[in-house]
Amino acid sequence: MSKRLSITLLTAPAMIILLGVFLIPMLLMLLLSFQDENEAFSVQNYALFVQDPFYVQILWRTIRVSLWTVLATLVLGYPVAMYMAQATGKMRGIVTMLILAPHLISVVIRNFGWVVVLGEKGWINESLIALGIIEQPLRLLYNELGVVIGLTDSFIAYMVLAIATSMYAIDPSLNKAASILGASRVRTFFSVTLPLSLPGIIAGTTLVFSLSMSAFVTPALMGGTSVKVMPVIAYEQIMATLNWPLGAALAFLLLGSTIVLVTLYTKLIETKRYKEVFAS
Amino acid sequence: MKKINVLGLITFVVLLLVNLPFLVIIPSSFTAAGYLAFPPEGFSWQWYTMILDRPEFIDSLWTSLKLAAITAVLATFLGTLAAFALSKYKFRGSGVLNALMLSPLTVPSLIIGISALLFFTRLGIAGTFTGLLLAHILISIPYVVRLVLTGLSSFDYTLEKAGYMLGAHPFRVFWDITLPLLRPAIVSGMIFSFLTSFDNVTVSLFLVAPDTTTLPLAIFTYMQETLDPLVASISSVVILLSLVFIILLEKVYGLERLFGLNSQSH
Repeated sequence: MSKRLSITLLTAPAMIILLGVFLIPMLLMLLLSFQDENEAFSVQNYALFVQDPFYVQILWRTIRVSLWTVLATLVLGYPVAMYMAQATGKMRGIVTMLILAPHLISVVIRNFGWVVVLGEKGWINESLIALGIIEQPLRLLYNELGVVIGLTDSFIAYMVLAIATSMYAIDPSLNKAASILGASRVRTFFSVTLPLSLPGIIAGTTLVFSLSMSAFVTPALMGGTSVKVMPVIAYEQIMATLNWPLGAALAFLLLGSTIVLVTLYTKLIETKRYKEVFAS
Repeated sequence: MKKINVLGLITFVVLLLVNLPFLVIIPSSFTAAGYLAFPPEGFSWQWYTMILDRPEFIDSLWTSLKLAAITAVLATFLGTLAAFALSKYKFRGSGVLNALMLSPLTVPSLIIGISALLFFTRLGIAGTFTGLLLAHILISIPYVVRLVLTGLSSFDYTLEKAGYMLGAHPFRVFWDITLPLLRPAIVSGMIFSFLTSFDNVTVSLFLVAPDTTTLPLAIFTYMQETLDPLVASISSVVILLSLVFIILLEKVYGLERLFGLNSQSH
């Protein structure tokens, strides 16, 4: 059998799926997003986005929620990654397992657990009231806070793993060298550990941001009807209003703005790093 | 020493939070009360027997299991073949093909779901089991390709050559040498595909009809209307089922290695 034939036969089945379920449908969706009610070419669906403050507001809310999620996963995830880097093999394995395993269980179920914990008659509110700390239940759910809590739980594993990977690569003798030269723990952290783990931070923040921007299930379950984000209104346009062109355009706008923001962010950080390198 | 303790404490709290949903769901599924409560009141199996009276959960559980099993077998087969071509032969465009195979991972599930709905409606398979299956195979292929490619990257092709030189038929070489050596990668690709399909909501959301609803989606829909201990009991069933596969995955391949390859989920 010739090499060419082998390659074709081996890759054809997967390629058929990719073409038929992914590439052609995406192209179709893109074309559809440029159609008006009479199926004529139009940019009205995208123009709506500039004209109608409603959509701008929704996009801004989506970005805001995603940024809070990035911050929360970073603040909570960084110490975990640091702990994993310092821990011995067995302990590291246990932590890895406990942080990754929940990730393989459906997000619907994890969100449900949080609803039980955070609800008005949930565990946290009942306990706080019983202890006499608060009188009225706190609103921890069906607002932006609820969505951020849910998303943080969903994506923290990615942040931890990204940072831990870059921490594993740090030579432990660097820490020793710093302390021999008289640097304090804090100084060592800011001069050695933090700069060397920066690639992991960049990878983690970018990934968590992109995932949060396009998350649908958590905002739908933990944000309720009051916190609508882009994926939720795109879904409504497709499945409820049946305005497919607008739904498609909203989904692409979301993807486009995510790509633009992530690119700007990585560019900004790179330029800053170059400046630092040249300044020293 | 003190620093490690602070880090350890934060780590402990984070691990507790990440696992909190399960620590709450499983006990509250045994409540004797008629409403959701944590800590649960009394003990009873009533919410488990109640599942049996809800055909929508039984049917969707069956659909989900069937869907996940067929997805796992087909995605693993297609992905493994493609990974073989990518690893064994050096050819022009192999880089592009590799990127293409992994590309469904980089596009949000939302867009995959919407675009599949649009196209499947034209083909007349929107809302059918076939449509759902095709979409689930698509989102599983990248994981299989990555896993098998990683397995193949450390594969020693001289072993195959030795087989041929000793006069073995290519099929026999594949069956007795290549396949056993790649088994961990292929098996974990299969389990991971199963879990990917079994957990999926965002893609399925656009492609199901009332009679092809999957279990996570049935829970999702039910949860938006009612929150009662029934959600807790059916969720506990799913958690237990998933745990079996997670433990298998850890045994066969190791979760940490696996997640090194992963970059997106929902």
